[in-house]
Amino acid sequence: MADLDTIELVKDIDVDKYKYGFTTEIETELAPKGLNEDIVAFISNKKNEPQWMLDWRLEAYRRWIQMTEPTWAKVHYPKIDFQDLHYYAAPKSMSGPKSLDEVDPELLRTYEKLGIPLREREVLAGVQTPRVAVDAVFDSISVVTTFKDELAKAGVIFCSISEAVREHPELVKKYLGSVVPQGDNFYAALNSAVYTDGSFVYVPPNTRCPMELSTYFRINEKKTGQFERTLIIADKGSYVSYLEGCTAPTRDENQLHAAVVELIALDDAEIKYSTVQNWYPGDKEGKGGVYNFVTKRGDCRGKNAKISWTQVETGSAITWKYPSCILRGDNSRGEFYSIAISNGRQQVDSGTKMIHLGKNTSSRIVSKGIAAGRSDNTYRGLVSAHRKATNARNFTQCDSLLIGDKCGAHTVPYIEAKTLSAHFEHEATTSKISDDQLFYCQSRGLSQEEAVTLIVNGFVRDVLQQLPMEFMAETQKLIGISLEGSVG
Amino acid sequence: MNIAVNKTLAELAYDGMLLPHPRLEDWKWTNLRVLIDRPYPPRLKVAAAPKEIERLLKRDPLAKLAQARIVFVNGEFAEDYSNLPTDGDVRVRHHLAPITAEAEPVLDMNAAFATGGVEIEIASNIDAPVAIVHVATDGEARTIATRHRVKVADGASATLFETHLGEGAYLANSVVDITVGANAKLDRVKLEIESSSAIHLAHAVITLGANVLLRDFTLTSGARVNRQNGTLAFKGENADGKIAGSYLLSGRQHADTRLVIDHQVPKCTSRELFKCVMDENARGVFQGKAIVRPGAQKTDGKQSSHALLLSETAEFDAKPELEIYADDVACGHGATSGDIDHNHLFYLQSRGIPEAEAKSMLIGAFVGEAFDTISHDGVRDVLTRFAGKWLVNHKEEAR
Repeated sequence: MADLDTIELVKDIDVDKYKYGFTTEIETELAPKGLNEDIVAFISNKKNEPQWMLDWRLEAYRRWIQMTEPTWAKVHYPKIDFQDLHYYAAPKSMSGPKSLDEVDPELLRTYEKLGIPLREREVLAGVQTPRVAVDAVFDSISVVTTFKDELAKAGVIFCSISEAVREHPELVKKYLGSVVPQGDNFYAALNSAVYTDGSFVYVPPNTRCPMELSTYFRINEKKTGQFERTLIIADKGSYVSYLEGCTAPTRDENQLHAAVVELIALDDAEIKYSTVQNWYPGDKEGKGGVYNFVTKRGDCRGKNAKISWTQVETGSAITWKYPSCILRGDNSRGEFYSIAISNGRQQVDSGTKMIHLGKNTSSRIVSKGIAAGRSDNTYRGLVSAHRKATNARNFTQCDSLLIGDKCGAHTVPYIEAKTLSAHFEHEATTSKISDDQLFYCQSRGLSQEEAVTLIVNGFVRDVLQQLPMEFMAETQKLIGISLEGSVG
Repeated sequence: MNIAVNKTLAELAYDGMLLPHPRLEDWKWTNLRVLIDRPYPPRLKVAAAPKEIERLLKRDPLAKLAQARIVFVNGEFAEDYSNLPTDGDVRVRHHLAPITAEAEPVLDMNAAFATGGVEIEIASNIDAPVAIVHVATDGEARTIATRHRVKVADGASATLFETHLGEGAYLANSVVDITVGANAKLDRVKLEIESSSAIHLAHAVITLGANVLLRDFTLTSGARVNRQNGTLAFKGENADGKIAGSYLLSGRQHADTRLVIDHQVPKCTSRELFKCVMDENARGVFQGKAIVRPGAQKTDGKQSSHALLLSETAEFDAKPELEIYADDVACGHGATSGDIDHNHLFYLQSRGIPEAEAKSMLIGAFVGEAFDTISHDGVRDVLTRFAGKWLVNHKEEAR
């Protein structure tokens, strides 16, 4: 039944493949091009940040200038000129306080067009179901955060990170950079120096967050980079599910997106983090598109903590992203479910790291890569067990599907077992859509494209099931769009 | 470090700062800058008494299985101890062939320092195995480098043994370049049982023609530090190559195998199977990479590496890579790591088998799967006995 729905959904899709490619005409305030200590201070000043935050940024900047760009990933792109970018871009109308009534209607229309519910009233009236609290980030600035009051009743703090720096400095000071330090890698250092906005979540002890939280990232302005920073803390015994979505307009130049996401799960806490990444992938010839260089890491700091990453990667010209779990607490668990689809000239180098440090820790990795067109799709992952990580368990499965003979699918797993009681299993397969399956579907009256979508949806099913309900249908549709034109 | 102007780049690579370091992806887990603990000067002549050589030669477990034996003592061809094949279809020439493969640290070192080598040409079906035995006698720390070339003509078939053993501290660098012609068949068995204080670096370059059947097996049990590179290139369709290996490591031994299977043409089959046992503080590394080039459709490639850790401090690292540019292929890999299944051990003990013996049986069964890929019955028996005694032997040595 679900499969039939998928085909219906795919039918609805119009010819224009990337439907989020429109631009919002809005007056924008930009920082001067380039990056130096003054720009870092400019950003910090714009955000009304305290001195300690500026110092932290400057320290990151000083480390960044001494670092070199990583080249080990299996992606190729012309050298990025980091001095030719605007590191801050914000709609001019956004200087005042943020209540929904005061938000520029042009921005609201943008989010409406993207299908993101920002009006609580509509959501409550049942126009938009189900209930999801949203933090909407437009270029360098958080536009609005919904359902704040209701969440506050439960004790959950959900706001933009700039607000958190001002309102909850003790939490930010304690946790920011504790999972991804300033000097962790080239892009993390860059992000630490110039991050502009992002979300902050704190779930107090023994609380189950009453609704799904989500952030919607939109890059609009030309020649800008988006550097968002997300920090999620689940205190003892709490639970939170968080969704992230991203889009960008169609532009023939490349845009840079270097984000850092830090998750911290204390004793018995659970964080579920889902991403649907649909940045503009560039056109057929590989012109334009977003460079997506992201550092995402979760730390199971307490006993019995659990962190689960689910990602659907369909966009971006280049993806460089390894959501990881540090399994520090005893009995903690990490999960990584991924669907990475590449078409056209997209290049994906993505995977995960599961670092087992505590006793009886377990992890599970299911990665499904689909390469079509002239794209390259690489899974790169590490599973390691420290000497003291007795009884560590890992199961890894990475499957790749190739559509067409011009694309590439690669697997680069690293397995490090430093203790005898660690049991690791890893398997990987690469195959194509079998002609028999295709023929069978077509003989039942499906077109070739419908048949491919159907088969691919079956291939990624294990991962789809991990997504929150409302994302599932959306994702199935997205798979259809992403693979359009890949056969025949 | 004394860098002389008249040295080649390869020589500098060895004694200067150009040794591979862990920031090079292929050398991530083997840091030669730390593992090579002292200078191993090249081309150092060490006198060896005939008695000593004979005693060492007797240690070769495959000695009785091969009629034709080509012996190298301390990197030099030793005609007196060799028993060259009399069959006209096997031609052995004492000759140091140039290196044809791409630059690589082990090859560079060999290019600079190799002192001896043979070229073996096999023209037809040879039943009797041909063995190359490398012996290092006790003496000053030094580099011993050899380089051989083996050509199996179209339609020919042969069995090739390679043994490396010795005493004392030395660095052995062994390169073999093997070309197997169309419709030919080659069985290669390599036994690495070097001295426990030696360093063994090796590189095998293997090129296969159409319809070739290759069986390659390496047992790694000797030497303090091991690094063995292998490249297998499929140049003709319908070839079938199987590369297997076993590690039996204890003490502070370190073994790293880096294989690159390069499918350049369609319809070839490749299999890799590594069964590695690590005890005490030993560290085993397996890095396998299967490349399927554009157009190499109908490739069937499977790779698996399995580790059995016998102690809390043993370590296994694996990196089974796939790099695929053709869609109509069936490729996969599997890697596992774990300890002895306690239920199995309990079962055997409940049947009255002492623990040590039960462990030996389970280890034997574990590595046995890799031995099964060897077609030569005699070799399989020898290796099975070797593995059976390994656990008891190394425990006794440790005492």
